[in-house]
Amino acid sequence: MFSTNIWIWIAAFLTLAIFSFLYKDNPLYRFAEHLFVGMSMGYIVVIYWYNNMVPNMVNPLLVFFRGFGNFSQVWLNGLVLIPTILGILFLSMFTKKYSYLILLPLAVDLGLWNGVTVPAVLQADVLKQAQGTLLGIHTPLLSGQVWGVVNGLLILVGVITTLSYFFFSREHKGALGVSSKVGIWFIMLGFGASFGYTVMARLSLLIGRVQFLLTDWIHLIK
Amino acid sequence: MSWRERLFKIDRRVLYLLIAVAVVVPLIKPLGLPTAVTPHAQHLFDAVDRIPPRTKPLLLSMDYSPSVMPELQPMSLAILRHCFAKKVPVIVMTLDPNGVGLAEDAILKAAAEYPEIKEGVDYAFIGFKAGYNVVMIGIGQNFRATFPTDGSGHPVEQVPILANIKNYDDFAMVITIAGSAIVESWIIFAVTRYHVLLGSGITAVSSADYYPFLQTGQLCGMLAGMKGGAEYEELLDKHDYSHAPKRASQGMDAISSAHIIIIVFIILGNISYFLSRRKKA
Repeated sequence: MFSTNIWIWIAAFLTLAIFSFLYKDNPLYRFAEHLFVGMSMGYIVVIYWYNNMVPNMVNPLLVFFRGFGNFSQVWLNGLVLIPTILGILFLSMFTKKYSYLILLPLAVDLGLWNGVTVPAVLQADVLKQAQGTLLGIHTPLLSGQVWGVVNGLLILVGVITTLSYFFFSREHKGALGVSSKVGIWFIMLGFGASFGYTVMARLSLLIGRVQFLLTDWIHLIK
Repeated sequence: MSWRERLFKIDRRVLYLLIAVAVVVPLIKPLGLPTAVTPHAQHLFDAVDRIPPRTKPLLLSMDYSPSVMPELQPMSLAILRHCFAKKVPVIVMTLDPNGVGLAEDAILKAAAEYPEIKEGVDYAFIGFKAGYNVVMIGIGQNFRATFPTDGSGHPVEQVPILANIKNYDDFAMVITIAGSAIVESWIIFAVTRYHVLLGSGITAVSSADYYPFLQTGQLCGMLAGMKGGAEYEELLDKHDYSHAPKRASQGMDAISSAHIIIIVFIILGNISYFLSRRKKA
């Protein structure tokens, strides 16, 4: 009835060791926890080395220093030296004397990524969302969908009142006070929905492990 | 000690035990509760179903680690089964270093159910690449420069399914199954810059954050948590694409019964709290 695969047994033992924490903290739990952290880090280092460092840094530098291929190929590969040196400069933070050198890669990183992401984020998260909030009423109104209009109105009211709650330049009195109070209700509903989904997510993880124990280990269910 | 005080001081381990029973019993003896398919799951299924067989491939990015495997692995398996059953070419990648083993496992499991499916022709695994934003932009600019080889180290020119891929234009659609904010990066870089048709499968925790992207059409469909996986499994079963054991659907009975226990205890906790407040007043 039980699995004959040693790895399934090890996985089942580690799962039960982690679950033992629900009763109280114990050495078995701590052993499994430390093993998990160590294994994960080791695995990630190896994956990063072979998938990222070797093809993107080691191999081009080997071509450059050994002078394989034609002149332009060698020099193109040599360009990898620039990000390599910038990357190494991150390690300067571990020395007192040269720690200021970290500013150089940080400046490049921040400048580059701000340039790449700011316009795209503005387009995807602000403009498109603002458009969606308005079209949420307009589109169903044109096609005569009553519940679509109600849904769109709810979204519009929710967005405006929630934004008004975060408007701190005036005291929340009068119309702004009413609007911000309605905004709090929308925020609370949002938190409630997120919490409900969080409960479901955590239960799913438990169910996943119980399914593993009952299916792969004990063979009680298919 | 009055019953109100007892209610307030229930040992948390009693709750754990009740949750364990509520989860284990329905898994052994299924209750057979129905799974209603939401429009978002239906839209994603329809988008995949519309891809003509043996034409442009679907790019499936399995961007998650084992910590969210019970929620997301059934989705990946269901989408792979859908593609294999419909002969839609599928290219699998991961932007999470821990996702490599999960992706390989899902491909092996799904491919074993469809013996006529061939590696390199009907599907390919192109492995993990670090720096997900760079990879998303890189695929849009030059796929070959971003992925010069597949996951096993074969040059892309030698792999039939990959040989003609230049950028996002050569994909029918992209689906990201993610346990983090990677979905938003896909929206920002792939959808906004390259107008990719994007679908997603996400953990239940993050699903509330992504509903606005469905409304704007930035996501063509979405599977949320284990329920999303169960919905896709039901759709595959309904359309005769797959009758493999439905892991997510099996879990839905357990989720429902555990939710009932939690709801009952939330109500009891609140009653006890209000009664104790009234007593103090």
